[in-house]
Amino acid sequence: MSTAAAGLRVKENAPAAALVEMCSVRLGQALFGVPITHILEIVGSARPQPVPLAPVFVGGLVHYRGDVLTTVSLRQLLGMPPKDGPQDILVLESAGGIFGLLVDAVGEVLTASPADHEPNPSILDERHRAFFAGAYKLKDSLLVMLDPEQLDPMRLSAARAA
Amino acid sequence: MDELTREFLIESQEGLDRMERCLTDLEERPKDAGLIAEIFRSVHTIKGTTGFLGFKRLEKLAHAGENLLGQLREGTLTANRSIITGLLQLLDGLRSILKTIEAESNEGVGEDAALISRLEQLQLPVKGRAKRLAHARVGATSTPILPARPALAQPPALDPAPPPAEPVQAEPVQTATPAPVEAEGDPTRTRVQGTAAESTLRVDVTLLNRMMNLVGELVLTRNQVLQATSADPRMTLLSRRLDMVTADLRESVMKARMQPVSNIFSKIPRIVRDLSQTLGRRVRLQVEGQDTELDKSLLEAIKDPLTHAVRNSLDHGIEPPDVRMAAGKDPEGTLKLRAAQEGSHVIIEVYDDGAGISVEKIRQKAVERGLITAQRASRQSERELLQLIFVPGFSTAASVTNVSGRGVGMDVVRTNVEKIGGKVEIDSRVGKGTTLRMRIPLTLAIIPALIVRSLNQSFALPQGALSELVHIPPRQAAAAIEWIENAPLYRLRGKLLPLVFLDRLLMPGGDHKMAAERDSFIAVLDADGRRFGLVVDGLADPEEIVVKPLSAVLKTIGFFSGATVLGNAELALILDPGSIALKAGVSLREDDTVRVNEDEGDAGAAAALEYLLVEAAGRQAAVPLADVLRIEQLPLSRIEYIGYRPVLNFEGQLLPVEDSGGVLAAAEGDPQTQTIVVVCRAGDRHVGIAVSHVLDVAAGGDLFEAGTAQRTGGVTLLKNRVTGVVDLGAVAELPAGEQVQPEQSLIGETVA
Repeated sequence: MSTAAAGLRVKENAPAAALVEMCSVRLGQALFGVPITHILEIVGSARPQPVPLAPVFVGGLVHYRGDVLTTVSLRQLLGMPPKDGPQDILVLESAGGIFGLLVDAVGEVLTASPADHEPNPSILDERHRAFFAGAYKLKDSLLVMLDPEQLDPMRLSAARAA
Repeated sequence: MDELTREFLIESQEGLDRMERCLTDLEERPKDAGLIAEIFRSVHTIKGTTGFLGFKRLEKLAHAGENLLGQLREGTLTANRSIITGLLQLLDGLRSILKTIEAESNEGVGEDAALISRLEQLQLPVKGRAKRLAHARVGATSTPILPARPALAQPPALDPAPPPAEPVQAEPVQTATPAPVEAEGDPTRTRVQGTAAESTLRVDVTLLNRMMNLVGELVLTRNQVLQATSADPRMTLLSRRLDMVTADLRESVMKARMQPVSNIFSKIPRIVRDLSQTLGRRVRLQVEGQDTELDKSLLEAIKDPLTHAVRNSLDHGIEPPDVRMAAGKDPEGTLKLRAAQEGSHVIIEVYDDGAGISVEKIRQKAVERGLITAQRASRQSERELLQLIFVPGFSTAASVTNVSGRGVGMDVVRTNVEKIGGKVEIDSRVGKGTTLRMRIPLTLAIIPALIVRSLNQSFALPQGALSELVHIPPRQAAAAIEWIENAPLYRLRGKLLPLVFLDRLLMPGGDHKMAAERDSFIAVLDADGRRFGLVVDGLADPEEIVVKPLSAVLKTIGFFSGATVLGNAELALILDPGSIALKAGVSLREDDTVRVNEDEGDAGAAAALEYLLVEAAGRQAAVPLADVLRIEQLPLSRIEYIGYRPVLNFEGQLLPVEDSGGVLAAAEGDPQTQTIVVVCRAGDRHVGIAVSHVLDVAAGGDLFEAGTAQRTGGVTLLKNRVTGVVDLGAVAELPAGEQVQPEQSLIGETVA
């Protein structure tokens, strides 16, 4: 993933604690980041089993270490058309339990400096803004941080009901 | 809470459970030193440890009990009813303090003084009492200003205990325990316990749950391995070995979670004792099959329904002694608890020889409450009407007592039992008694299910709710499924069955193919007393599935009770027939398969004995439908031989297979050929019958021999053809060994 690699910045004089580690994921042309502290595991090329009558953001079920994991489709959540074929899953841990985040492809682990972080631009779609935790300016692209707590299916379904 | 306190709590609770059992036994055998010693030990241990842990309140109470028990042990006092009542109160007191400790880590504040003084009063043996009274009198004479006051104050406080010398009155509770542990006499008992303690181990339940989960995983992996390797003959041996080891391992882990039903049965004598005193009944309790084992979580789940059933039996079932006498019955009623394992289920029965339930009363009440129309009520069978007592809000009790009769009860019993995949039935005869039967699956985590297809997806349908399957070929679909407005119905043997299309249900507004274009299958389901047909696109094999919980978001959909991984590694959602019926609007009222008027004649015939019509090697034969348990299609390789008797390893049990039709023999040599085995009940045994086709289900007509006009045995009139009935009883028993007779054909010739 050349763009992501190009965006990798390690400031040698910056203290290690100040750097943010994240996993980059790709959705169509867009690049997103998930803080690695929330990631339990990455499951490659999965085909989740659809669940009839489930809320639209549910990407289906996958078998994960003896349990049945509910996945959230990032495409559905951001109003993008569904993608055919296998997708990658980030297994995330949030306060409400574990769930899967369905993305087109998982990139790599990046380290970024807080100096490059910008808060959410105000012109973002109101409905999606809650999922984002600002953006990092990489060398030749923007990486939008996702807030795993906001992606928890329980929270999404509560938000939808409200 | 520290480790020491936790251990103390567990030990004390076990001790108190033992004490409770012993106390009810003590009422029967008041002089049994072994029982008294056992009770004494329980209380003494608690007292000893509490002193050490600093639970003063508990110590004080246990101490008062110990003093009383000490006198019983020395024989200066004989147990009578009021002493036992006092000791039971002590037990309750100790339990409630233990509960507080468990919840709040301290003893809490409570007043035990009343109980302690009661225990002290009970302690005074006759002589001591007399002596003290004498003293008081002496004192009174010497101080004439205060005449005999303290002495007079004493007796009322002492009473209501009858003098212990008095022979113990009729024992209201009797436990018939065939369990070997109940060996009389103390020395043997302690020895047994000693060795048991050495060879047993306390294991955390969460660890057992984890093991069960892992075994579930292994079962799934095994299923996948078996499917993947079925084509490769080199793998056959290995995968069969894997299959066996997995099955054994699963059984062992399941066994580890098993507990004898005596764990919950042991609470019953106390309930019976207390209730029969409140209600003025005389009841003899009999317990059978105490050592039958059941999964721990299931045991917990049936505790309440069982208690409910027992309360009901005492309140509504067994009559007061005078009423019983008047009816010419033994004034002492019998309450019988029975547990037994039947295949993969445990049957728990609560039987009483009381007044029974009047079907007429139920009919009236049901019509009155509008649960059923008078017209329909008059047509329902007694058995069907009896099941109405499980409908919420139904009670035939003339008055509401504080024991039962509020109409919450039997529906709770049913809901609780069905929640764990069990079934409840009731049988009753007016004047003779009532039997409540609960059928509980052995385990929750792994259930047999039929895999069905719809929306190009697999779904698992629990076998427990499934009563039969109907295949509708495409060209018959239009005629077979009838509509009343928007409600699809199917005529199942003359009765209208409401249908639910799974695809329409799960994808409302979707573009669904008309039923005429494809095969359809109707799974006839029975859930929570609602009967309906679920229409699916296809059927796959039955499988033993491991139930995995769904996340909270998906639970709210309501139609799915969980998910599972199938043998082909596909995920399948587990359908919940109860909530499907509810949401699809199949109500209890409509469900009861509205009978069509013009079909009355046909329906009448349906009441006659029904037969499964099968074909074996070109001949037709009939098997009584009531005896058919299931029909299995399996590869010929699954049939194994003991000597030359074909047998089938069926769910871990050996099933003799009858092949007098020669189906197996004809197919021999090609292990991949699919063969059909009809699994039947023959008395207590299960037998399989190898057939080439299953043709139909039809009602049989009686045939009479010409001339003698005697009913002929062994044949029946099916679809106007004389058909031989398979004699299930004649299938030779296993192991037959050398004694196997050359069999005669059990399948009779069909005379067209």
